[in-house]
Amino acid sequence: MTTTPASAASATVTVQHPVTRKRLSSWLIFGVVSLYFLIPLGATFYWSLRGTKDVLGFEAYRKLFADTNFLPAFSQSIVNAIAAIFLSLLIVVPTAYWVTLRLPKLRSIVEFIALLPFVIPAVVLVFGIILLYSRPPLLWTATYNSSRVVLICIYVALSFPYMFRSVDNGLRAIDVRALTEAAQSLGANWPTILLQVIFPNLRTALLSGALLTFAIVIGELTIALYMAQHTLGPYMSDLTRSKVYEPSAMAIVAFAITWAAMGLIQLVTGGQAQTTAGH
Amino acid sequence: MAYLTLSDVSKQFADTFAVKDFNLGVEKGEFVSFLGPSGCGKTTTLRMVAGFETPTNGTITLDGADITEQSPNQRNMGMIFQSYALFPNMTVAQNIGFGLRVRKASKPEINERVKEMVSLVNLEKHVDKYPFQLSGGQQQRVSLARALAIRPNVLLLDEPLSALDAKIRVSLRAQIREIQKRLGITAIFVTHDQEEALSISDRIVVMYDGNVEQVGTPFDIYNFPRTPFVANFVGSLNTAVAEVTDAAKGLLNVDGVQFTSAAKMDGLKKGDKVRIAIRPERFSFASEGKKANVVDCRIENITFLGSVVRVHILIGNSRFTMDTFNYPSLELPQIGTTDQVTCSREAVLVLEEVSANGHVPAA
Repeated sequence: MTTTPASAASATVTVQHPVTRKRLSSWLIFGVVSLYFLIPLGATFYWSLRGTKDVLGFEAYRKLFADTNFLPAFSQSIVNAIAAIFLSLLIVVPTAYWVTLRLPKLRSIVEFIALLPFVIPAVVLVFGIILLYSRPPLLWTATYNSSRVVLICIYVALSFPYMFRSVDNGLRAIDVRALTEAAQSLGANWPTILLQVIFPNLRTALLSGALLTFAIVIGELTIALYMAQHTLGPYMSDLTRSKVYEPSAMAIVAFAITWAAMGLIQLVTGGQAQTTAGH
Repeated sequence: MAYLTLSDVSKQFADTFAVKDFNLGVEKGEFVSFLGPSGCGKTTTLRMVAGFETPTNGTITLDGADITEQSPNQRNMGMIFQSYALFPNMTVAQNIGFGLRVRKASKPEINERVKEMVSLVNLEKHVDKYPFQLSGGQQQRVSLARALAIRPNVLLLDEPLSALDAKIRVSLRAQIREIQKRLGITAIFVTHDQEEALSISDRIVVMYDGNVEQVGTPFDIYNFPRTPFVANFVGSLNTAVAEVTDAAKGLLNVDGVQFTSAAKMDGLKKGDKVRIAIRPERFSFASEGKKANVVDCRIENITFLGSVVRVHILIGNSRFTMDTFNYPSLELPQIGTTDQVTCSREAVLVLEEVSANGHVPAA
């Protein structure tokens, strides 16, 4: 049998003590922050399960999905978000690419433009747009569908800071100039360079930008309301005024969709994180 | 007419000339290096050949056709970059086949060429790997294979070895040269490393401040530098200010020590000051055999550099270095003792006239 000298044992305790304390404090901070997010989420979920008196169940969810207005509003928001993402990619990627490659002096101007959606309140933006596009020669808010197109364009503008920042970060992570010149010297033209060299190497950045755009569009209320569009934002607003448990169910559904989208990004970009690790 | 010609090519950025009146003819199958310090215009010249920069003045022709205004993707020039520039989203095989896919070559042809190229650069085992899974040397070999796969008119190499460690650099440069010779491809190689340029090139263009200082074979550039810059930049060099004692006989005086030079000293007269240069390896100990110049010296220090031993000597008041091969029976003098060193008349180069205070007089 071996014994540990008392002095050695006490030394071990003094060495480990700060480490243990540090680890404990880290877990404490993590726990507090987690509770900050989980308590409201748990409360909302709990509230959404109380659709039937004295019984916990998914009645509120059933009612939500049974509501004839829910799915049209939901699908319209999804379509709007997808359209805004595509339009945004079409505009932002070539712009950010060209600014990085050929017009670095314009970066400050583009960054200023990217700040405008933060500075201009949504109400001001929508009134300005309604005033501009509701009289000849730009009578683009005359019908529901034309207003919807304008709404999608507004969403592109709203999501521009997020999409531009994501794409710009992605472009900074790769040697754009060298890749472009390598492709050019091999005979590639601009569309080939963009589609086969630049886009695939920006996959993570594009998906991040797309997710942020999706998150902005899916629950947007103010502009959709003033543009008289039947999207998820106004639907949720109406629901909150007229129902008790369904809004909580709606919030949980929206939360699940967001997490599903993030999971999808993780799944799709998992491989790319590895391919860029060596650079 | 040369295969690739650059005639009076200049490139100006704002008020600065990056390249001034560059003239060069490159023969088919020739390996030409652009050598010079950072900012001398060598990469800008290469980029003008590649089409990434348009010359402010002058013309570039390839096989008789003017390509000055042609876009890079129409020139069929393979380019190798310092940063490799491999497409991270593509495997080795896809990277190599990219240029052929762009040219809409058939799938069997692409596969055949990729196979040929990976075999050329000895990367058969790595065809399905992504760039991040390869070492720097392997990535640069993929880059070489990718550039060669399109059977380029000219292979352009922009400091391709700078990012690699010393051993890989030496082996890869030998491999590049061997492949270039085997395929008979015309190549332009940009480097600031004189050893690289001397070892790999048929001809070297030494550049400084946007100008061509000298064009010649590695032997000529090293042994017969035509300008002070070339003499200083290529190889190690001892320089000292000497006074002309007899221009016709090539007699010079360095701190009271007499030197004889074979250099022409037209226009110089007795009493003029000139800067002379002697390469360290041109000195030897007089005990090993005397040459035209035999001078007394004091041994100040001795440094072992592996295959070479560098002896620091004091001649008069001027410090020189002498390089001698290291071999087991080499007998070196003691530090602090005096000895005699010798060099030939041809070893004493006269670089430029200087004023009495040692400065180069204004033109």
